Order: sequence, then structure tokens, then C-alpha cells
Amino acid sequence: MTRFCLALVLFAAIAPAAMAADDETARAERWNDLRQSFFGQRPILEGSDKISLDAPDRAMDAALVPVTINVANPSQVKAVYLLIDDNPAPLAAHVAFGPAGDPRSLKLRVRVNQYTYIHAVEETLTGELFATRRFVKAAGGCSAPAGSYDPAALADIGRMKLRASEQSSGDGSVEAQLLVRHPNFNGMQMDQVTRLYTPARFLKTIEATYNNEIVFRLETDISMATDPAITFGVRTSQKGKLAVSARDSSGALFESSFDLGPQGS
Amino acid sequence: MTIRKFESLASVAALLTFCAAAFAAAPEPNDYWSGPMQGETPATLTGGRVLQTQDMAALIAAGGLALIDVAEAPRRPDTRAPGSVWTPPPHRNIAGSIWIPGAGAAQLDPRMNEFFRLRLAKAADGDLDRPLVFYCHLRCWGSWNAAKRAIGYGHRAVYWYPEGVEGWQDSGRTLAPAEPETPLL
Repeated sequence: MTRFCLALVLFAAIAPAAMAADDETARAERWNDLRQSFFGQRPILEGSDKISLDAPDRAMDAALVPVTINVANPSQVKAVYLLIDDNPAPLAAHVAFGPAGDPRSLKLRVRVNQYTYIHAVEETLTGELFATRRFVKAAGGCSAPAGSYDPAALADIGRMKLRASEQSSGDGSVEAQLLVRHPNFNGMQMDQVTRLYTPARFLKTIEATYNNEIVFRLETDISMATDPAITFGVRTSQKGKLAVSARDSSGALFESSFDLGPQGS
Repeated sequence: MTIRKFESLASVAALLTFCAAAFAAAPEPNDYWSGPMQGETPATLTGGRVLQTQDMAALIAAGGLALIDVAEAPRRPDTRAPGSVWTPPPHRNIAGSIWIPGAGAAQLDPRMNEFFRLRLAKAADGDLDRPLVFYCHLRCWGSWNAAKRAIGYGHRAVYWYPEGVEGWQDSGRTLAPAEPETPLL
């Protein structure tokens, strides 16, 4: 009995401290959980001098929040991760760069479900991880209506466009923006006509190659906004073909290719 | 230069239009709102009172009320990519709230309606003049519907806090962990 009471007293003393008392504590615990589930025991170093994350402090449209990730030493970067801490599916993007990719700047548009930290993590070629974070005020981005499964909405699913900058950066890199028509239904959106939840159908991978060399391979999920727009760098020494293949959760494969070169198209 | 000036004027005009749109409240629907649950909400609630954050804090400090959060719980999508991580964060709301996800829907099935009616009666301790405060998220219609529903049940001191948990956090206040209350199966 004494032992039981002692345990009870101990529990009472420990429980409030273990419970997330305030929002910042809860956010720190959340990140701790996420880093363990995505990166295991690998150390993640503070990396605000290596990687920067740009996003609006307060997003006008929570279903379409623009995010920019810049890295200071692109030649040492293997991949970047974008995690929206308090989204139900936090990993918005894992972008692994190939020999034809220039990681210096990457832009994406994501959904934000509630006020949250967003983390950008850089993985170097030597396997180190560096992280930076930013707090974004937006809410409701995951349940915001995104249309229905009617044939018109899906008629041009998978259609792609590429916009390339006219000028190369001077060191053989061109910035390009890829637009992919895809509703990226996340399964949390209600069809306002039928009152049913629109079944999930979202892009899982997007791979881009330039003259058969990998530019990037993006793994993504339901935190990516409708009609994904991805701005990235391509190392181009000569004119060539940028080929893109994208696969969605229903198994559909979409492919396009574009002419690209140092002087634009 | 002239062009740039014109562009900046145009963008100011666009911004003003946006702001006007952002502050123009939606009219009150006659019935429960059945459109998109996230979006522009009305400035009023017939039969109830609208609370700003300061008034909300004062009312809570005065005590003797029940706080009802009707934020939806994240719905797990029916199809998920193998290996993808689904891990909604624990829900947090204003300390001391009763969290009843789903109570702000346009239509409640009879079982849910009865659960909600009885839960509110219990929260009010049978006193129809006891203040009930409804909220969810910023620009979320669920709390408007739920408050309207409470008025329909006969409660006479119904408050609606449209800024929700986001407004509460914006004022520098903190949230607390919450557990949902739902009808038993």
C-alpha cells in the first residue's frame, strides 16, 4: 500500500512536467518525435548558416503556402527535406539531387493545417544533417475544398509546363519552374456537392533528368499543394532535354520532356 | 519608371481589393452553413453574442461558463502510400474546454445530435442561462453552426468566438492538450 501511494505521489509529481504545458514545449516535443521517426538517432545540427527557409509569416491561403529553400554550399548537398511539423502527414518533400541538379534554390507550394514550425533539413554528401526552421501562421490548408472528381477537373491531370529563366547564372546553371496539373487530393477534403470525402489521389514521386542525368528525385505526399509548382536549378553546359516523370498514388504515370539550354529554350 | 509607378499603384489597388474582401463578412445563412467549412464567416449570430479575444479572456476569468471546441479531428485518408507517415499532432485547445469534434457539421445524425444536446445540458448543469462559448479555428464555420444549434436547444447565453484557437494564440495565450468526446458506439 505504501509503495502504491509512493508511486501515485511520484506519478503526480512527474506527470505535469511530462505533459506539454505550453505550446512551445509541445512544439519542441513534436519536433523531437518527428526527427526520430524520419532520421532515427542521426544527429541534426543547427544549420541556419547552411540552409535557409523562406515562407510567409502569415499565409494568405493555407492550401497554397509558398516555401523557398536556399543552401549556402550547393556542391556539398545531397538532399533536402521539408517537414511541416504539425501537419498530419508532416513530410512535404524529400528532394535528392543528381549530377545535373543544382540544389542552391528550391521552391515549392505546400498545405499548412495549423500554426506550425516548418523545418528544412539539408543532408550533405558526407551524410551530415543540418536543420533550420520557421514558424508559419496558417490554418485549414488540409481540409480546404479542392474540387471534385468530375471529369472536367481531371481532364488534364498530369499535364506539365516548364518555364526556364532566360539567363544562366553564369556558372552553367539555369533556374526552371515545373508546373504539374494534379488535384493532389489528400483524402481530407469534402466534396461540397456530394458531401462525401474526395478519395485521396496525390503525386508520390517526381523525377527530372537532363540529358539522361538526374536533376532531382522528389518524394512527396499529401502536404503538397494542388497543381504542384517546383522551381529548381539545372546544370546545363549545352542545350538538351529535360525529361520529367511523375507517378501518383493511383499508379498513374505522367511524362513530359522539354528543350532546355544555357540560353533558355 | 512610369510603368513601375503604375505597377505599384495597381498592386496597391489589388491589395486594397484583397483587404476589402478579407474584411467583408459573409451574411448569416438562414439555416446551418453547408458550404466549405473554412472560409469567410458572418460578423453576427442571431440569438447569440460574438466575442473578441479580450472579452473572451474576461469571460473565462469571471468563470461559471463552459467552453466548447468543435474543431474537426484530422480525418485519416482512406488510401495512403505504403510507408508514408500519418501522425496527426495531439489536438490542443483553450484550457478547460470540452472538445466535441463533428458537432459543427451542417447536419448531425440523430445519435450525434442527441449526444451533443445532452452534453451541452450537462455542461450547463441544466441551467439554460449558463454561458456556453463555442469556437474552433479562425475562419471556421463549425463553431457558428454549433452555437446556432445550442440556441436551437434553448440555451439563452450562447457566445461565439470566431477567432478560434488561432486568435487565442495570436494574443500570446497558450493552448492545452485536449481529448475528444464522442458518442459511444
